[in-house]
Amino acid sequence: MTDGGGAALLEFDHVSVHFEGLRALDDVSFAVASGEIVGLIGPNGAGKTTAFNVACGFVRPSAGHVHFHTRGASNLRPNELAHAGVARTLQGVGLFGHCSVLENVMAGGQSRPAGGVVSSLLALPSAVRAEKALRRDAMAMLERLGIAGVANRLPSTIPYGTAKKVALARALMGEPRLLMLDEPASGLDEAELEEFAAHIVELRATMGVLLVEHNMEFVMPLVDRLVVLNFGQVIATGTPREVRDNHAVIEAYLGVSE
Amino acid sequence: MSGTARRGALALVGLAVAVALALVLAPRASDAIAAAAVATVTAVAAFVGSLPAVRAEHPALARAALTVVLIDVVVFATAFLSVPTDFNLATGAGMAIVLLGLSFLTGASGQISIGNGAFMGVGAFATAIWANHHATTPIVVTLLIAVVVGALFGLLLGLPATRLRGPYLAGMTLAFAVAFPAILSSFSSWTGGDSGLQLPNPVTAPHWLVGLFRAGTPTLTTDTLWLTDIVMVVTGVAFFFMANLFASRTGRAMRLVRDNDVAAELVGVPLPRTRVIAFVVSAAYAALGGALWTLLNNSVSPATYGFALSITILAVIVIGGIGTISGAIIGGIVYAYSTNVIAWFVARTGLDPQGNLASQLNGIIFGALLIVTMLFSPMGIAGTVRHLRQRRSQRERG
Repeated sequence: MTDGGGAALLEFDHVSVHFEGLRALDDVSFAVASGEIVGLIGPNGAGKTTAFNVACGFVRPSAGHVHFHTRGASNLRPNELAHAGVARTLQGVGLFGHCSVLENVMAGGQSRPAGGVVSSLLALPSAVRAEKALRRDAMAMLERLGIAGVANRLPSTIPYGTAKKVALARALMGEPRLLMLDEPASGLDEAELEEFAAHIVELRATMGVLLVEHNMEFVMPLVDRLVVLNFGQVIATGTPREVRDNHAVIEAYLGVSE
Repeated sequence: MSGTARRGALALVGLAVAVALALVLAPRASDAIAAAAVATVTAVAAFVGSLPAVRAEHPALARAALTVVLIDVVVFATAFLSVPTDFNLATGAGMAIVLLGLSFLTGASGQISIGNGAFMGVGAFATAIWANHHATTPIVVTLLIAVVVGALFGLLLGLPATRLRGPYLAGMTLAFAVAFPAILSSFSSWTGGDSGLQLPNPVTAPHWLVGLFRAGTPTLTTDTLWLTDIVMVVTGVAFFFMANLFASRTGRAMRLVRDNDVAAELVGVPLPRTRVIAFVVSAAYAALGGALWTLLNNSVSPATYGFALSITILAVIVIGGIGTISGAIIGGIVYAYSTNVIAWFVARTGLDPQGNLASQLNGIIFGALLIVTMLFSPMGIAGTVRHLRQRRSQRERG
């Protein structure tokens, strides 16, 4: 199913989503394996965002299944993803506006096994220890991405590119095996794009990456494979080179008819 | 070295002053010894709790130490204040517990509730009803029962609340607040109808304590003071637990849901459960505050827990600073002294104390304060102080 070599982590298995007669996704099948970067592209309205939302459980498929081989489960709810080793960033930055940057990153570890309300209320030693470890790890993650200096700032007071890194740091805190990035390049300048691409390439060693992106200059050199959607259907899959020469893709993007 | 040494010296000076005060002011030697003991504990707790190493490595211990200091200072002060002042402070402390719960629900989890006066009433009546059926139950157990009953009511209202947002949730909790007195009167065989309930046995100071001192002295031996101090200790414990909750993983889950529910789900926070937990905690806190009011008044009346109380609670927490612990404490103090301020105002202006205007003055003053707060410092007193301090520390850093 995949040519990335690793085991499939996420598999769209004949997934369809219909909204009142509109076919947002129509019999879509593809997979993402560990160790590969897959780009999901297509013209506006092709169904990329719907595909992400159905994978994350915000939209239920009308037919078919989204299999998470990370956990051996299908059609997960949004709050089950993190436990299944899946992290997703949101369009824009999607940060928690009234929480500090550090707390935003700590939020990424919210799915770690730790006590419930009672241990929080009583400040049981195990709960306090888990919080301290989480804080330390979040700080280390900020340092790894080179943004430890803004740890105590509010998201609204830091530059956009930095906020994007905070969102990435938060996603990585869950130690995901599959990372889903929703338009990671949007709003970044040239230097930031390069840095972001380098981070993503680095991540390939430990996880699979699926990203939705418009910026072709960013996507093409970065990904191992592309899945091209148009009108809710997969019209092409393959390496960037294969896809670039694909007739159906050129037609979809340029709107050329024969 | 200087930081620790300075803190140690400060604690010692505080201790010395407290002991001297106790010796001068306390009417009997045993009182002075008790006061000195309290002062010693306070000084040690203040010293331990202020050590940077303790605050960084053992935050719960630092919070516990702060709680001990707060309780000790208040208990120490109540011994020297007048009985009416003590009563007002204890009433304000009960209110502070309710405000802690609402600060958590609305400030941290972002859900509005106009029904916390009714949850307070649930605890107040649960206490009175239980005491009338089981007169010998120890106070602590009665309070715990009130908390559990309050939590169950919170669960009952919290479950539908998970599907409601903003104005709709406000509407539902408002309906509960408005309906609550009517619910009470329709179960009048339990609740005593419009006249409410009396406690069968007023809370009295235990014999061993009375025996330790000599009866009749204005000290810990008096029942009002004993009751006041029980309320203060319970408030301190409630404060400690809420401070833990705010600083914990659960507290963070609340803030995440408030700020961005989609992102919160994606990091693994279950939305309905988190929202219900906030409701249950807030209702349990409100019920505890109500239970203490019943103990303080030795009775409970349905008129106390009407719609106006819920509005007052909301106004006071906004004035104090919603979403903060200190805002709840400030709100409690504001509430405690509002009675005095109103009485002073009525006396000064020569209003008829039984008149229509005087009886509505409470609502007028809190309403005006609420408007001023919303206009000039929407974060309340605690939020504004925090903001100013942050600005100052940023300026100092450059």
